[in-house]
Amino acid sequence: MNSNNFSARILAHIMSWEGFLFTVLAVLIVVNASASPFFLTVSNQINLFQLSIEKVIVALVMTLVIINGEIDLSVASIMGLAACAFGFLFQSGVPAGGAVVLALLLGGVCGAFNAFWIAWVGIPSLVVTLATLIGFRGFARVLVEDRGITDFPEWFDTLGQQAILGPIPLSMLIFFVLIVVCYIVLQRSTFGRKLYFIGSNRDVAEYSGVDVRRIKGLVFVASGFISALAGVLFAARVGAVRGDVALGFELDIITIVLLGGVSIFGGSGSMTGTVLSILIVLNLRNGMALSNFTGHLQTGALGILLILSVMVPNIREAVARLWKSFRATPT
Amino acid sequence: MLDKLVNRLGTNFVRITVLFLVLVGIILFFSSQIDNYLNARLFNRISISVAIIALIAVGQAMVVLTRNIDLSLGSIVGCVAYFLGGILAAHPGIPPLLVPVIAMLIGACFGAINGYLVAYLKLPAIIVTLATLAIFRSVLVESSDGTSITTASLPEWLIEFARQNAFVIGDFRVRWIVVIALLVALIAHIYLTRFRAGRQFFAVGSNPDAAEFAGINVRRIVMQAFLVSGALAGLAGFIYLARFGNITVVAGLGLELKSVGAVVVGGVNIFGGSGSIIGVLLGATLIDLLDTSLVRWALVSEFWRDAVLGMLILLAVAMDTFMSRKLLMRRNKMSDAELDRSTATTAVQSTRLVADNQAKTP
Amino acid sequence: MGETVQTPQQSAVHEMIGKAVLEMRGISKAFGMTQALDDFSIRLQAGTIHALVGENGAGKSTLIKTMTGIHQPDSGVLLVDGNEVAFHTTQAAQVLGVAAIYQEPMVFPDLDVAENIFINHHDRPAFVRWDETYQEAEQIVTRLGVNLDVRRSASGLTLAEQQSVEIARAISLNVRVLIMDEPSSSLSDHEVKRLFGIARALREQGVAVLYISHRLEEIFELADVVTVMRDGQHISTRVIAEVTEDGLVAEMVGRDMQGKFNRQPSVATDHVMLKVSNLARIGAFRDVSFTVQKGEIVCFSGLVGAGRTDVALALFGIAPADSGVIEIDGKTVVINGPQAAQKLGIAYVSEDRRKLGIAMAESITTNITLPVLERYCNTLGLIDKQREAADADRFRQQLNIKTADLDAEVGTLSGGNQQKVMLAKWLNTNPGLLIVDEPTRGIDIGAKAEVHRIIRDLAAQGVAVILISSDLPEVLSLADRVLVMREGQLVGEFTGEQATQESVIQMAVGTDRQGEVA
Repeated sequence: MNSNNFSARILAHIMSWEGFLFTVLAVLIVVNASASPFFLTVSNQINLFQLSIEKVIVALVMTLVIINGEIDLSVASIMGLAACAFGFLFQSGVPAGGAVVLALLLGGVCGAFNAFWIAWVGIPSLVVTLATLIGFRGFARVLVEDRGITDFPEWFDTLGQQAILGPIPLSMLIFFVLIVVCYIVLQRSTFGRKLYFIGSNRDVAEYSGVDVRRIKGLVFVASGFISALAGVLFAARVGAVRGDVALGFELDIITIVLLGGVSIFGGSGSMTGTVLSILIVLNLRNGMALSNFTGHLQTGALGILLILSVMVPNIREAVARLWKSFRATPT
Repeated sequence: MLDKLVNRLGTNFVRITVLFLVLVGIILFFSSQIDNYLNARLFNRISISVAIIALIAVGQAMVVLTRNIDLSLGSIVGCVAYFLGGILAAHPGIPPLLVPVIAMLIGACFGAINGYLVAYLKLPAIIVTLATLAIFRSVLVESSDGTSITTASLPEWLIEFARQNAFVIGDFRVRWIVVIALLVALIAHIYLTRFRAGRQFFAVGSNPDAAEFAGINVRRIVMQAFLVSGALAGLAGFIYLARFGNITVVAGLGLELKSVGAVVVGGVNIFGGSGSIIGVLLGATLIDLLDTSLVRWALVSEFWRDAVLGMLILLAVAMDTFMSRKLLMRRNKMSDAELDRSTATTAVQSTRLVADNQAKTP
Repeated sequence: MGETVQTPQQSAVHEMIGKAVLEMRGISKAFGMTQALDDFSIRLQAGTIHALVGENGAGKSTLIKTMTGIHQPDSGVLLVDGNEVAFHTTQAAQVLGVAAIYQEPMVFPDLDVAENIFINHHDRPAFVRWDETYQEAEQIVTRLGVNLDVRRSASGLTLAEQQSVEIARAISLNVRVLIMDEPSSSLSDHEVKRLFGIARALREQGVAVLYISHRLEEIFELADVVTVMRDGQHISTRVIAEVTEDGLVAEMVGRDMQGKFNRQPSVATDHVMLKVSNLARIGAFRDVSFTVQKGEIVCFSGLVGAGRTDVALALFGIAPADSGVIEIDGKTVVINGPQAAQKLGIAYVSEDRRKLGIAMAESITTNITLPVLERYCNTLGLIDKQREAADADRFRQQLNIKTADLDAEVGTLSGGNQQKVMLAKWLNTNPGLLIVDEPTRGIDIGAKAEVHRIIRDLAAQGVAVILISSDLPEVLSLADRVLVMREGQLVGEFTGEQATQESVIQMAVGTDRQGEVA
């Protein structure tokens, strides 16, 4: 009985979503590595990350938002707005360093703006961030119109493109630090614990004395701030800013998070799942690029993945039902 | 005072009146800012561009009424315009009347995919249509192989059709495509206000649980909503093709957000259950008018239009939230008084009622 | 009705009376671990008002939902007019004339009253003629005797008005079986009278009415037949003339529990922990005054909806009172939220475990530590999981929570163990005043006894306990004092020794027969 239970739990671990993701990742790496001898080199792996680094940084904080039972569709627009604000300020004569700080602050303000409508006025995040998805992007275009802003100081471009720690560039370093921070926040802090409970059952959290509004508000401010950071990093990496910076990135970001096993209804998910999912999506894109699939086809594939990832509960249930009926059949 | 007025006239009527006044206000404002603004050419120009957005917004409204959302509409318009262009280039002999039907069928197929996933697999509409927005667009890009549809490859009648006037009153020219859009809006309006099946759209959005309990087939209605929105996006794709002739893979990009804007600004509750097609038409006009006018306004850059649109949507939703909360609070107080007024009945009355009802049925 | 000549229709009705319209045979339905319906059988006859009584959680709502096609039974047979049927949708039930009016009326707030009545009429013409619709709705509504504008939107209707809309909807559908689920629980006296009139009128026309109510006096006034159910099982069905109120009560609570009150001596001290004076919240309760001493167990008894939980929510700050004074330990306090209540040492164990009590998808340990999470932080501000686990383990032993794994989701436990986790969560806050709301609803006898033991132990440790319970044997075995609430007011008080099932129930339902001629 007891040993039966134990082996069932081991099985449950292997059969868990993380286990499944890990298997998929392993298969992908093997396939990619056998397809190209350069795949496993450090430079290729870093390159792999660099191409999507801004998205995966935002995916980390989006994990917190969705675990909290909300969604932030405006992240890509905040990225764009922050990048454009940086470009605009720099062009108007603000020193690049100051422009970076102001752009980051602006991101926090955008997050606070979302937070106000969601946590205090009580409009669902889906609607609020859909409106700000349009609005923030609009402000980005107001700032730079149809110009492209380039010629940033050299240190800025270098920061975005050159390695600063061994082979690792700044944006990747930020990504790794953020993984650790988000992991600790989710697993070890009271804030993270409350995040899970609010997403799992808001009323229970409220009855237990959790300040639901404050936590929800803080998550959106964090989301705005990190998105702005990602936007500025994008500007540094590309060395130019235009009105359509990061346009449509929200799709990739949300897909990564949901594929990582975070429930769209909140309350469950883990940093491990998101990180595995990030690796899968990056490898998949890399593999598809190696096989000469266009970027648009990759986006389409991500769309299909997104639908499949929200179907995970359905699939699980169907499998369970099948299993049950299989066992219930008299022999 | 205002509360009383709102209560007597109905919120819908008030919304439409306010919207109309805002529209007039905007026109007056811009005519003071832009030379040669208020004339028949403004009408001609706006009416043509509103035609496409209005068609999509009507479909979007049907979906939003059922407490869902369709973010894939822009991609559907693009796909239909492109594929239809391809079909016409290959088979120029297709009877003209059949062409819009084909367009609507292609659109409905896309809608059916959304509808199936949302209504039958019970996946959240926002996620499904966010995904199909990308999927449909990538289908388009992939199958186009980088080529575009050009006016030269299209049959003559199609390009002619987009320029033909249905009728002309003075300087005001009303094109056929405008007539089509208005006709569709009229049909949708009649369906939603006068047909039992149409009313069930409101019921589903108003209280999905109650709809289920009351024996309304919720899944079928949600499916219908997505089918209609797909078909109307298809029709919009047809007009898009006729009007622009040259179709690239980015055709229709961003129309989904404009349609959501038109619907929400037009007073359709984003949580379903209430709204009107007249409001949606006004909302679509308002958004398009702002778009066109900002381009011509020298003082402010045209790039303000998206920023204004986003804030407009947020404002409309926030106002809706406040208004319904306030109204509910007021009504609750009022009903206490009504409670006292309502009087006891006698069993005799009720007996008669039931008897009458049973006698009526064979 | 003194006519001697019958119209053909009336004679048809008379022929129908007594025929079973809807019959259930051996229906069972389980949700996870709980067996909501257990081999349940019932026959609803035409022209009969059939009452159904049972305690909270006896399975009445599941029964209704199975009859109307919202739930499908796991096993058993459903017959309409003697033919076996299966209702896969509510529409299927409706077509055969089965309709229900729920405790919480189901109306469409965005539609007007007339549309609410006719929205699900699948046999009406597809094209809506508004003037005709309004006329017909007007007819139905005025003859129901309700003063209701059929053109007004349904949002903001009172519960009674919403109910009228639902009744109108059912009647207009030529209902043959009408199920009324506690329809009177939120109505005023004359509204109830009107409702009875309608129910009787329906009976005259040969409709089978299933009337569910807690108020026994209503059942004696209205019903022809009464069925008692308990724990999802059919206990008895009898003609109303053959039963007494005491007999029904005995059957509802279960004979085996009678006389086993097993009272323990009171451990109450003189120290007043909580003093409430003239507490009121508009629309919920008024003029509520009482005290609770340290070590005392005070029980609130009364019907569902009498305002007991509302008083608890006011004390816990979820729905603060509009007026009145609350004193804790002799000091006047303001409680404007759960956080404030928690600081004052008040804990509230909710009656709704699933929705308000514990997060089912989270682990046992994290649920137990949630209200006092800050206590487990180390110097870095991070949660010390070992200390959490140690405390959870302490509660596992203390409350005898049966689980091998404290990191397992609470949802995987049985109802009784979930209840203990919820208790542990609040005991972890070291409360001075513990409010427990229906702590043993839907859990098995063994776990129930353990919960009782826990509550007694707490009182012995000096905790002031408020117990809200509809389970009378439970009240009588635990209470040092019993306060009875009815329609938002405190209507009586017994000492634990004085109280009997009969006296408490009679006070709660308002049939004080002391003055009547026996």
